Amino acid sequence: MSDHVLLEAGGLCKYYHSGGSDVAALDQVDFQLEKGAFTVLSGRSGSGKTTLLNMVGLLDTPDMGSLHIAGENVLALSLSERANFRLQRIGFVFQAYNLIRVLSARENIAYVLQLRGMKKTERLAIADHWLFEVGLDGLGNRRPDQLSGGQQQRVAVARALASKPALVLADEPTANLDSVHGESLMSLMRDLNDRCGMTFLIASHDPVAMAAAQQCVYMQDGRIVSVATP
Amino acid sequence: MIISLAWRNIIRNWHRSMVTIAAVATGLSALIFLWGFNDGVHNTMMRNLQQVIVGSIQIHHDTFFKKSSLSRHIQQTDTLKEALLEAAQGGRIKALSWRLDTFALAAGDDVSEGLVLLGMDANAELKTTRIAQKVDQGRFLQEGDGAACVLGATAARNLGVTLGDDVIFLTQDRFGALAADKFQLVGIISSGEMGIDRGLAIVPLNILQSMLEMNGRYTRIVLQVEPEHLEAVTDSLRMSLKGKGYEVLRWYDMYPMMKQWVELENAFYYIFLGVVLLIVAAGIMNTVLMSMLERVREFGVMMALGCGRGVLASMVIVESIILGGLGVIFGLGLGLFLIAWFHSAGIDLSAQMDTVARFYVDPIVYTEIDTDHLWQTVGSVMAAAIIAAIVPAWRVTRLQPVEAIHHV
Ligand SMILES: Nc1ncnc2c1ncn2[C@@H]1O[C@H](COP(=O)(O)OP(=O)(O)OP(=O)(O)O)[C@@H](O)[C@H]1O
Ligand SMILES: [Mg+2]
Repeated sequence: MSDHVLLEAGGLCKYYHSGGSDVAALDQVDFQLEKGAFTVLSGRSGSGKTTLLNMVGLLDTPDMGSLHIAGENVLALSLSERANFRLQRIGFVFQAYNLIRVLSARENIAYVLQLRGMKKTERLAIADHWLFEVGLDGLGNRRPDQLSGGQQQRVAVARALASKPALVLADEPTANLDSVHGESLMSLMRDLNDRCGMTFLIASHDPVAMAAAQQCVYMQDGRIVSVATP
Repeated sequence: MIISLAWRNIIRNWHRSMVTIAAVATGLSALIFLWGFNDGVHNTMMRNLQQVIVGSIQIHHDTFFKKSSLSRHIQQTDTLKEALLEAAQGGRIKALSWRLDTFALAAGDDVSEGLVLLGMDANAELKTTRIAQKVDQGRFLQEGDGAACVLGATAARNLGVTLGDDVIFLTQDRFGALAADKFQLVGIISSGEMGIDRGLAIVPLNILQSMLEMNGRYTRIVLQVEPEHLEAVTDSLRMSLKGKGYEVLRWYDMYPMMKQWVELENAFYYIFLGVVLLIVAAGIMNTVLMSMLERVREFGVMMALGCGRGVLASMVIVESIILGGLGVIFGLGLGLFLIAWFHSAGIDLSAQMDTVARFYVDPIVYTEIDTDHLWQTVGSVMAAAIIAAIVPAWRVTRLQPVEAIHHV
């Protein structure tokens, strides 16, 4: 694996048994992600985007194949080592309800830093910085239910980035947002990718997301069918 | 972090948490109050038994209790005095009285009754027992009394004697010779306790001693000690008197029935405690499980972010402990308040109690609680709260991040 490759997956397979038949959610997927990439994973519903993201994010285990992230054979890790790997290396943004309800926006951002054992004043300062970065300056003390959907997603992005992970994974981050807010969230992420050099892998069939992509990977029936660089 | 998150989740669902806490507090205070009532009745019974006449500990000639006879008597030997001195260290013996007793036939005008003829030293007895307070006609014995006697109310009625009348007691002296003497009735006892009221005659110790040829001789020493010193004093006496021809008996060695009764009733309370604990545990489990199921998605996100399952499970357990703990604080406060209140106010059960009044039970119950019972109850409610968290916590550890995140 060369130095500029962050993630390398080979022959990833994932099967689900449903209704008596086997569904290949991932079918021999070979996939590479370069450091600093801003890649959008697209394809029709059911094509396997979320499944691939879950494998790459160490939330699920493939039935076959290999997976290396930052040179480490992550499939060999134990359950708790995976949790720690996620904590240290991966940031997540989910489709919705990303935030811990009882924590304020800044506490949500600081939460991952807290899991890493950072001191309170330090992590809250970082959280404030990231609130500013995502344009939510001054809203840090609000609870998730006092924020709009778009604002919540921004907090989730800030939380994913605050710990400076090697890889940020986002699954349909714009799905619950209107196109205006979707667009601004995408450009925010793109901007952060440019400025901070973090690698993004975003699963989305939203044209807005695809338009922001540096690289677009199309999936169909659990396979990668094309890679485009617009 | 775990504690602060758990606490926030509790106040987030303040309404539901309050209901749970109130349920725990109500259950606990009810248990504490019932223990208070139970212990109040039992302790009064046991205290009355000891204080009215039996004493906490008695010392006899070896085997006297099984087969009493005047030949099995004791004297004020140095051994005995030293043993008593040793046992009394630290003021553990509040008072004691030397007694002499035998069986006698009492003759009234035209009937006779068998009863216990008991020689008491009036002054020592006043310090040791409350028998004098049970006299409701006339007076108790006093120093300098000659051939005076105090009778139980039923015995006096059966004999057909009233205050001022003469009563003749017939018995055998130490050598088996017939002894008979005439005593003037100066007081009548109504204790509510059948054994005393129908079968007891009390006369001055020194008079009885000379009547029975028992000068300087006694049948028993009756000691009054606080419950917390009972075992220590008994042990000390048994140690010093070992192999010297004495027996040292606690009140419940002599009258085991009352202690067994208390233990039986306590056993019922423990069963009741178990039932209440089940309800408490089910209530807490319901709350914690509901709040856990509502947050499956959130737990999934937290796991994805790298939070370990152990941390999440601990959070659920801590929530349960906080709910249980708050319930315990309020329940303990309320329960102790009730006990303190009824400890001084008393609960008047005289209307319900004429039949029970016999067994050394007072018609007004003053609540009090054994610390053992209190801490057992509090401890088990707390334990129930922790046990209630096991199922939800276990379910948290079984969560798969992928499924949890997509949980609806
Ligand atoms: N837990 C599961 N059990 C059974 N089948 C599953 C499960 N998860 C996914 N699948 C199947 O695997 C395939 C890929 O699903 P996946 O969620 O990865 O698609 P997707 O591309 O993310 O779709 P969408 O755009 O709707 O989110 C689908 O056919 C789906 O039905
Ligand atoms: Mg999907």
